[in-house]
Amino acid sequence: MIAAFTRGPDGTVLVDLRAAEARLLTDLFGDLLELLTEQSPAAPRPDEGDPLAAQLGLDGLGDDTPPARPDDPALARLFPDAYPDDPDATAEFRRYTQADLTTERRRRATLALQSLERIKGGGRLSLAPGEATAWLGALNDLRLVLGIRLEITADDQEPGQDFGPGDPRTAYVPVYYYLGFLQETLVEALSG
Amino acid sequence: MTSAPVEVDRPDVRGEQQAAEETDRPWNTIVWNDPINLMSYVTYVFESYFGYPKTKAHKLMLDVHHRGKAVVAHGSREEMERDVSAMHSYGLWATLQRA
Repeated sequence: MIAAFTRGPDGTVLVDLRAAEARLLTDLFGDLLELLTEQSPAAPRPDEGDPLAAQLGLDGLGDDTPPARPDDPALARLFPDAYPDDPDATAEFRRYTQADLTTERRRRATLALQSLERIKGGGRLSLAPGEATAWLGALNDLRLVLGIRLEITADDQEPGQDFGPGDPRTAYVPVYYYLGFLQETLVEALSG
Repeated sequence: MTSAPVEVDRPDVRGEQQAAEETDRPWNTIVWNDPINLMSYVTYVFESYFGYPKTKAHKLMLDVHHRGKAVVAHGSREEMERDVSAMHSYGLWATLQRA
C-alpha cells in the first residue's frame, strides 16, 4: 500500500511512511535544496553585501545586473519569464522577486526535511497546517524539476518512453508517479 | 491535450463597466497549461490564493487545461506582478500581459 495523506485532527494532515519512502523523500528534498542553493543565481550570499540592506530586505537593489534566466531548464521552469515578449521587464521582475522566491522554496524544502527527521525509520508523520502547505509547495517543486528532467512536454505523454536502454532517468519514472500520487492525496486532504 | 499554448480570445464578457475600468486595470495575469502540474493542485491554488469559489476555480483550471491558457486575474500592473510572483511560488507557469 502506497502512502497517502489523510486529514487529522485540528487541521493537521497525517501520512504513514515506510522507512524507504522517508529515505527517498529525504534524498529528493535534499537534492532540491542543493539545486536551489548551488545553481540559483539569486541564492543569497551571507558573506557579501551590505548587512543593513540585507536586514531591510533591500539586498541587491543597488546591483545593476538583474539575475539572468537560469540555464538549467528545471530552474528556468521554477523561475519562468514574467513578460514573454519583454526581456527588460522580465529582468526587472527577476531582480525584485527571484531572491525572495528562492528563499521561499528553500524554506519549504527545509521544513519538509525537518519534519522527516522526526520519523527517520518510517512511521506516522503528523504535519501542522503550516508544515502541510510547505510540503505541498516542496512536492510540487520536486515534481516540476523531475518532470523537466524526464522531458515531459505533453499532457498525454508516457514519461521515459523515448529513453534509450540504460538511461539512468528511467529509474525516476516511478518516482515521478509516486510523487504525483502523494501530492494528489495531500491536495485532497487540504481541500476537504 | 496538447502542451502547446493555444492562442485564445480575450475574456468573453467585456461589458461597459469593464471597458470603463480599462485604463485603471490594464493588465492580466495569465496561467499557461503545462503537463506536469496536477489539475487538482491548480484548482486548489486558484481557490486558496485568489479566494475564488470552487466552481470558478475548477472552471478556470479547465480553461487552462483545454484552451492552453486562461486569464485568472485582472488589475494594475503592480497587482498583477504580485499575482504572477505568487503563481510562480506555487509552481504555476504565469505571465503578465496588457489587457
